[in-house]
Amino acid sequence: MANGHHAKTLPAELNAPAFVAGWRMKALAVGAAFSVIAIILGFLSGDGWNHFLRAWLVGLMLCFGFAVGGMALLMVQYLSGGKWGLLVRRPLEAMSRTLPVAFVYFLPIGFFMKKLYLWAQYPDGKAAYSQHLINAEQAHAIIFKKGILNPTTFWATSIVCFLIWAGFGFLLNSWSLKRDADTEPNVPYWQKKFENISGIGVVTYSILLTACAILWVMSLDPTWYSTVYGLQFLVGQGYAVLALVILTLIGLSNAEPIRTIFRVTEQHDLGKLCFAFTMLNMYLAFASFLIIWSGNSPEEIPWYLDRIRGGWGVIATLDVIFHWLIPFSLLLSRDLKRIKGRLVVVCCIMLFARLWDTFWLVEPNFADARRNLHFSVGILEYIAVPAAMIAFWMAYYFTQLTTRPLVATNDPHVAEILEPEHAHA
Amino acid sequence: MPMREGTYGLLAEFDTPSQLVHAAENAYSAGYRRMDCYTPYPLEEAAAAIGFHKDYVSLVCLLGGLMGVAAMFSLETWISVWSYPLNIAGRPYFSWPAFIVPAYEWTILYAGLSAAFGMLALCGLPKVYHPLFNAPNFRSGATSDKFFLCLESVDPKFDLGETRSFLEGFTPASIVEVEY
Repeated sequence: MANGHHAKTLPAELNAPAFVAGWRMKALAVGAAFSVIAIILGFLSGDGWNHFLRAWLVGLMLCFGFAVGGMALLMVQYLSGGKWGLLVRRPLEAMSRTLPVAFVYFLPIGFFMKKLYLWAQYPDGKAAYSQHLINAEQAHAIIFKKGILNPTTFWATSIVCFLIWAGFGFLLNSWSLKRDADTEPNVPYWQKKFENISGIGVVTYSILLTACAILWVMSLDPTWYSTVYGLQFLVGQGYAVLALVILTLIGLSNAEPIRTIFRVTEQHDLGKLCFAFTMLNMYLAFASFLIIWSGNSPEEIPWYLDRIRGGWGVIATLDVIFHWLIPFSLLLSRDLKRIKGRLVVVCCIMLFARLWDTFWLVEPNFADARRNLHFSVGILEYIAVPAAMIAFWMAYYFTQLTTRPLVATNDPHVAEILEPEHAHA
Repeated sequence: MPMREGTYGLLAEFDTPSQLVHAAENAYSAGYRRMDCYTPYPLEEAAAAIGFHKDYVSLVCLLGGLMGVAAMFSLETWISVWSYPLNIAGRPYFSWPAFIVPAYEWTILYAGLSAAFGMLALCGLPKVYHPLFNAPNFRSGATSDKFFLCLESVDPKFDLGETRSFLEGFTPASIVEVEY
């Protein structure tokens, strides 16, 4: 029809536009600059690189979250279906292929675990307690949890988790290319195949992630435990991955092929998903707080008191504001979700909130900081180190984006996404 | 024979959503304002084509939600702090974390009810009579597979002959003059 509502055609060139290489150069430059700052701060702080390592853990959790969370959302979209899934598929695949970076980032945590984890520093809890290096609760926890909190289990669990994720990532990525090379009548076969691996994959992911979150972050304070801890990281990863994938798509929509297939309808859908994750994130965080607050048990509340008293309440309150209040209030608006420039701002706030939240989770575990928020040169590492790590991760991610076409073509959704927007019910 | 009360409007029937949107856009740019589209399923571009930008359902929903949260939080505070203070394991009377869950549920309840009833009220429902149902093709098609554009006679630009020939330019399946 000659009225401007006819279906569009897929551009011939489906590879990433040339400016992605520019993004990569910028990311490398930012990474290099923050690395220099982080190293200078490491020397200036004079704390034996302690804060550097803590900040490294924060950076690891964020980059690892993009890599593994990206793969999880990739599997979720295979299970749920939907046209938004077609849009995010290739960016999420690129994220899932950054797992090696996450593994490299993990290695220093493993090598220097004695600087971070009490249970690694004092494997003999009894002796450490008798020398007054740790208190009775810490000694009890270290002895009682010896079976899981020891260097061998730490290494073995982490490596097994990385290997299993690498396996899923490899299959998801290689099948995706094979599917595109295949003919159209075989689509149901591939759909079933992706559904099957994704069903197992999502369950496996949540179990492995719980293990990693407990070992890497929760065990910084060996005395505390929470069964919802892994799930909070899971939702946090979904939250950050959605924000990043929207930023990627909006950035890429300045040129073909994303300009053609990125419709307002799907942008709106992704915005709604962000809203759901914002709500779910707050729901889990608050539910865990409310249960522990109501129980008021001396075994559980110190973890929160460490993160509220001595100035930390300001950080906690701002965490709620950045993580929930601002994105929630803004994402209520329908227009905001449909206007690119405004959605970008919300996504940036969401990513910043993840950094803020991880800082609040990590820093108060340590004796010098718990219930005592104070400025030191070392605390600036929490900006410099994660910024450098994320920048280098981004550079790798952008490289991965350029390695295959940005649109998966052998999918019935391609035809639907090229239709004018009013044609869908 | 009931008395004729005049023409409500001209109803054009289309077979595809694209034709409807095309006609609606042209009618809007030709200066028609009092018009409406009728489709068997939500058609966002049709709404956009006739210059329909905003409705107030979301605002009503937001206000309802705020009312719900304020009502429940104040109720809990009033009961626990002034009306019937209870010492529960030494916790403060104003235990705001415990108040959040009911306050949240009332937010949802009020927002949901406001959205549903607000939508009905803003649509002018329930409505016992609408002239369009006088058109037989509207009755049989509007909820199944036809797409309608009605240019209403209250529009200052409306002229029975001119508007009819204007609509005929879009090759509709039929044009029906709808009476009140």
